[in-house]
Amino acid sequence: MIQLHNVSLFYQKDAPALHNINLRVDKGEFIFLTGPSGAGKTTLLRLLYGALTPERGQVLIDGQNISRLTKSQIPYLRRSMGVVFQDFKLLPNRTVFENVAITLEVLGWGRPDIGKKVMHILKQMGMESKISHTPQALSGGEQQRVALARALVNEPKILLADEPTGNLDDANKNQIMNIFKEANVRGTTVVVATHDRRLIDNGNKRLVTLSKGDIVEQVEKAETCSQAI
Amino acid sequence: MNRWKKQKPAVKQFSKRPNLAGEGFGGRTRYYFSRALINIRQNVFVNVVTIGTIALALLIVSLFLLVFVNLENAAQSWSEKVQVTVYFDRELSGQEQTAFRGKVLALPGASKVNYVSRDEALKRFRERLRGQETLLDGVRPEILPTSLEISLKKANRDSKEVEKFVVSLKQIQGITEVQYGEEWVRRFNTFLNFMRLLGALLGSFLVVAVIFIVSNTIKLTIYARRDELEVMSLVGATRFFIKAPFLIEGILQGGGGALLSLALLFGMYESFLHNAGNFLTFNPATTGLSFLPAEYLGILLLAGILLGFLGSLTSLKRFINV
Repeated sequence: MIQLHNVSLFYQKDAPALHNINLRVDKGEFIFLTGPSGAGKTTLLRLLYGALTPERGQVLIDGQNISRLTKSQIPYLRRSMGVVFQDFKLLPNRTVFENVAITLEVLGWGRPDIGKKVMHILKQMGMESKISHTPQALSGGEQQRVALARALVNEPKILLADEPTGNLDDANKNQIMNIFKEANVRGTTVVVATHDRRLIDNGNKRLVTLSKGDIVEQVEKAETCSQAI
Repeated sequence: MNRWKKQKPAVKQFSKRPNLAGEGFGGRTRYYFSRALINIRQNVFVNVVTIGTIALALLIVSLFLLVFVNLENAAQSWSEKVQVTVYFDRELSGQEQTAFRGKVLALPGASKVNYVSRDEALKRFRERLRGQETLLDGVRPEILPTSLEISLKKANRDSKEVEKFVVSLKQIQGITEVQYGEEWVRRFNTFLNFMRLLGALLGSFLVVAVIFIVSNTIKLTIYARRDELEVMSLVGATRFFIKAPFLIEGILQGGGGALLSLALLFGMYESFLHNAGNFLTFNPATTGLSFLPAEYLGILLLAGILLGFLGSLTSLKRFINV
């Protein structure tokens, strides 16, 4: 589903943000990207959703080399992905319902279909009672669930998450992790960038560790990894 | 498990969209318009600021236009005083008058010929000396000359054209003495050209300033909503899909601002400007300032719409990096 071949990217000439990265994520797989701040986790995710193009190497999504996509093709790539962030990126002046509906409006869905689909996903997230609230009226965990609903409402092939639990307490972390797992069970490939030990242990999935732009370690299961480190 | 299987290969499937309601040209257009209206409702303050800025900016331009158009009108009525006068030392018979009239009107540039008899000349003289009529006691009409007053067409009122006209006028037999206030015509033309140049200069500065202010205001309002642009692009919206509601919003803001400025201008005109005429035109004959003609109002409205549209377009270019 996701393949990176010898990918390098520089923000500054002498210091590569990513250096010769080779990574393969299979369809339906769930991986964690970890490593200290500045290791290149966010950069790698940005490559995957087409916000950056590598200076060297190839990024293949579902067999498609995305550095060959034109700017006007990038939106169509993103429609097959969901992305969530640490700061949720919800629109403050729109309601929960409207925030989630954006994904489907972009696809050209009609109002009745959008209504049904959005209600369905918000129910799954346990947010159906707050559809007319604005994000400011929600707790951090609730906001992240809305962001996840927006990312998942279109049943994406790939879900990318950048420090999704960075602003959340433990109870909320577990809840968000469970949503990732459920999406994964339904067939979505999940890539979570985090340095949250607890999330990684709870996830019990393949772990890729980055440091200064290099992949320094790949471990099949997080459990073995905690012992390894 | 493998619900993606039927959608392979990847390249084609990226560009495929489900065929659902809200598709098609009509559905999309409706969506863009309703989105623009919702955006305005959800960002009332920002929209009020933008519309207010556009309205004030255009009000300045339209006030300038109002003054300029009225000055131009005044100049027009002044230039009607550019006349060429032919003097005779005898009274012309009706036949002679008709003959001269025909010959003069046949010249290019002449628009009107008026014969002033001795009696008429004395009457005018008396009017000019109102209050001191006693000076004219004992003056008989015979000492005054008769004359033909020739008005010129609009295009022939500048000094060169007048001189050309006078030369051809003098070739008519029987016409010897011609006066046309050379100095006055020359000065008037210089003044008119200076005024036009000044107007064009001031006007263009004003327009540049207005474009600058409005485009920066719009840029700031779009900057304030850059999160929205980012989120839209993250969920896979095309550039056009992101832009369209903003552009419609820009058009509505521009149109609204222009209408507001015209309403303000009309209010100002009705309340005090319309009788500021004597002050501006130096011409007691005119009753006051005239309002802007309809085509100017149309142009101002269009300018507002264009400002809103182009302001949004250029600002969006900067903030969408899909």
